[in-house]
Amino acid sequence: MSEVEESKITAEHRAMIGVKSDPIEVVPKAADASRMRDLLGDKDPRYDDDTGVAPPYALAMLEPGLPPELSPRVLSSGILTQTEWKFMKPIQINETLQAITQVISIRDRLGGRYGYSVLVTFQTDYLNENGDAVAASLRTINQFDRGDE
Amino acid sequence: MSELYFEDISVDDELPLLERTPTEDQAIEFFGRDNPTNPAFGDAEAGRRMGFGGALVPGLLKLSWISHYVGAWAGTKSNLISVRVAFRRPDIAGNPLTLSGRVVDKRQEDGINIVELEVVTLADGQPSVRGNIQVELPGRNS
Repeated sequence: MSEVEESKITAEHRAMIGVKSDPIEVVPKAADASRMRDLLGDKDPRYDDDTGVAPPYALAMLEPGLPPELSPRVLSSGILTQTEWKFMKPIQINETLQAITQVISIRDRLGGRYGYSVLVTFQTDYLNENGDAVAASLRTINQFDRGDE
Repeated sequence: MSELYFEDISVDDELPLLERTPTEDQAIEFFGRDNPTNPAFGDAEAGRRMGFGGALVPGLLKLSWISHYVGAWAGTKSNLISVRVAFRRPDIAGNPLTLSGRVVDKRQEDGINIVELEVVTLADGQPSVRGNIQVELPGRNS
């Protein structure tokens, strides 16, 4: 792990905070929901194939990628350290959602398993065709340099 | 599946323990075999190159297990409001995980019955994921 005496977070990285992505269309797919239900052993009839409703954890398949200019890459590797999902409405299969993502914080972290690392938190809001919030996610990635670098 | 009502719940109620043993194949299947994912999820050697002890268990798979664990306990009349988890330690495929949960609060807000739980996954007796989950439960008279 690298020894760092000062932050590697630059003004360019910080300038990405609060910049919202363009809406990205995401569509919950029946095949994804079915596969995930089977894997988890979920027998809840509300999410059966003929209901048109996806289980909440289908949100895992909807997280959109971000263009590099909106996704600060301070260190070379990353691992998910925190996630929050909020659900305002049931997720409907085949319903087109608009996902809008932004970085909401970047901060240094000293010590711990990875030595110097950087915590980047993203927020994604999922809106339906009426503009109503269906779900939201927060995820924090711990960026670190691998020991062999 | 159970069918719980708000009145049935008390603070400190515990959920039955559930054991899961994640595998590399489950990690790949979770995201779909045609979808690209972190190579460390399906390849122990890639996980070791990243500094872990083997293939990583995806955080989103663990989050989904936790969501389902609480949902199955709360029953088909419940609604998941939120799930917040902190991944404390990486989990490695092949190592069993035990899920445990406990009710830490119940309250009514704006006419909604909210039950809050803490959920922990234990690997080798140590917490690897800690989570707080809020579910809405029906009342017996609603």
